[in-house]
Amino acid sequence: MASRQDDLNKTLVALTSSAFLLPAYQSAMADAPPEFTEIGTRYSKYKEDDISAKKAFGGRSERYDIDVAQFYLLAPVSDDWSVALDVSWEDMSGASPWFVGESIEADDAKVIMSGASIEDTRTEVSVTTRYYFDSGNAGFNYTYSDEDDYESKALSLDGSINSEDGLTTYSAAVSASDDDITPTQGAYPTNTLDATKDVRSAWLGVTQIVSKRALVRFGLSYTYRDGFLTDPYKYLDDRPDERKEWTVSAGYRYFLEEPNAALHVDYRYFDDDWGIASQTVDVAWVQTFKDTTVSPFIRYYSQDEADFFSNIDYEDTDYFSDDYRLSAFGAFSYGLRLSHEIGNWSINADAERYQTDESWGVYGGEESPGLVEFWRYGVGLNYAFK
Amino acid sequence: MGRIEHRFKAMGGPCCLRLDANDDVMAKRAIAAAVAEVVRLEKKYSRYLDDSLTSQINRAAGAGVPVPIDHETSALLSYANTVWEESQGLFDLTSGVLRLAWDFKSGRCPNQLEIDALLPLVGWDLVQREEGSVYLPRAGMELDFGGCVKEYAADSAAMQLRRSGVTSGLIDLAGDMAAFGTPQGNVSGTSGWPVGIRHPVEKDKAVAGVNLPEGGLASSGDYERCLHIDGKRYGHILHPHTGWPVQGLIAVSVLAAQCIVAGSSATIAMLKPADEALDWLDNLGLPWLAIDVDLNCHGSLVASQQLSPG
Repeated sequence: MASRQDDLNKTLVALTSSAFLLPAYQSAMADAPPEFTEIGTRYSKYKEDDISAKKAFGGRSERYDIDVAQFYLLAPVSDDWSVALDVSWEDMSGASPWFVGESIEADDAKVIMSGASIEDTRTEVSVTTRYYFDSGNAGFNYTYSDEDDYESKALSLDGSINSEDGLTTYSAAVSASDDDITPTQGAYPTNTLDATKDVRSAWLGVTQIVSKRALVRFGLSYTYRDGFLTDPYKYLDDRPDERKEWTVSAGYRYFLEEPNAALHVDYRYFDDDWGIASQTVDVAWVQTFKDTTVSPFIRYYSQDEADFFSNIDYEDTDYFSDDYRLSAFGAFSYGLRLSHEIGNWSINADAERYQTDESWGVYGGEESPGLVEFWRYGVGLNYAFK
Repeated sequence: MGRIEHRFKAMGGPCCLRLDANDDVMAKRAIAAAVAEVVRLEKKYSRYLDDSLTSQINRAAGAGVPVPIDHETSALLSYANTVWEESQGLFDLTSGVLRLAWDFKSGRCPNQLEIDALLPLVGWDLVQREEGSVYLPRAGMELDFGGCVKEYAADSAAMQLRRSGVTSGLIDLAGDMAAFGTPQGNVSGTSGWPVGIRHPVEKDKAVAGVNLPEGGLASSGDYERCLHIDGKRYGHILHPHTGWPVQGLIAVSVLAAQCIVAGSSATIAMLKPADEALDWLDNLGLPWLAIDVDLNCHGSLVASQQLSPG
């Protein structure tokens, strides 16, 4: 069949596409638990670039470093149940911007770093059970996360239903988390000693197979945050105690038989009542060779600043933040994901570079001296008990 | 455990199911599911069974009331419409009624009047397809899913095997085949199920052997039923516009990702004059084999004759 695949003509495409709409070719996608138990482990490293002397008082400074170790298990329990367990450990260290001050010698703002004072470890345990039925599946997840200064408990429920013709999948999810914030007391004062935060969110999605080779999906989500939303460690930070966020997203997948590859294009628009809006475009090429998958990807992100963002607190506003994460900027990240299967084993590796600049954004705003650039890379190993 | 073979009769012919399994119980369940699927489709679409959906649709012809159909039937009709369009009207689910004029057992050639009487009942474009219903507007019109259901059943049964956890299997419904996975014990480097394409005249002989990878192999042949009158050969493949047998090839086999596409392609080729059919197959982009009236073999699968047939 391979020798003539290049010559696929119009008739063949028409017949194949039309046949694909028959139920027999849809049931491959019927929901069923994984056939085999799978375990996996993964190590990844997140490393922020040093902040330059130009942008920080006190000269060049190192920033955040996170080491992450993960373990997961996914197992079928019966014909229609599966259970998954994810455990991760994070070790964080380094410095982060404490506040932004005005430089005397030049008319610009610089960051005062927290000093290499942060040391924290986080443990997260997440359990998911999933029930599969003829036309869909439903999942229940509980996640517990604990670190020195933060504790989070989250519940989520999700479900998806396939249409009778198998071409459309409707999905929905709701989640809720209760978080406790108890900042570590050190050399600098914190914005609270003990506070709480609740997050509630809901998500709706539709995936539509449009042809044998293409599918589209749309999503809509709403998140409501309530409680202490101020960064406890940032000196001047003072944020509203409520935040409402909306996102709409759209994705497109196109599969090519020759070469054995898929094109993924995703777009996301985010808007909230803090005045932040953002847009994300993701493009990935997933190329499969015999047992190897190579996937280069690039992501563009641009965000508008929060109404109360400013480097220097000149105006008398109700709220204030000089956190670079609430400023206007544009960012590119790009990288490569690799995976390779050897019998029941699969190994994977990925690397990502993230770079940002105020001038790359589509929204205008005050440039934060604290913008971050980082590397992220990881390696993982999975085993399936086939 | 290893290779399991199960033979059964369905859709008017001998059927065979081969699969590799390491678990006896799972294999039995898989075979039962695959056979049940073939039987389900036969009961639903056979025009020989009074209580089939096809018979209901045909009985309602000209009665003024559309017959409700499910999603699967609607998708099959829509597929048949695509094949009709792509074949410029040669593939026509309503052409089966012409067989009333052609009794290949009697050895008698019908006269033009008999054929003319049936031609108004043939015409896919007359069929009224709505969302959820179908209606044949003229009394005596008939739908015949014979041209695509056996191939569809092979694909669907293969899917049942997969869903039951079988990793490698072959379904053969009287020559229409669907396969997936690599059979155990294949010589290293070869993938697919070794199958033979039957010789049109010498039934025990394979005219070509191929390794059937993921996908289907379907054959359409004219050799089994034909009339020889005054030295002229009349095959049973009837042209839907004239009502007369097509002077074309005597056998065509096509390999495709789906058995139903292989089957439709082979059928379209059989409906074309021989020269035109060979050109059409050559341009289609699928591996094929055709045999003309002089028993000459044509097509990209001829070379694979050297491969060991199954």
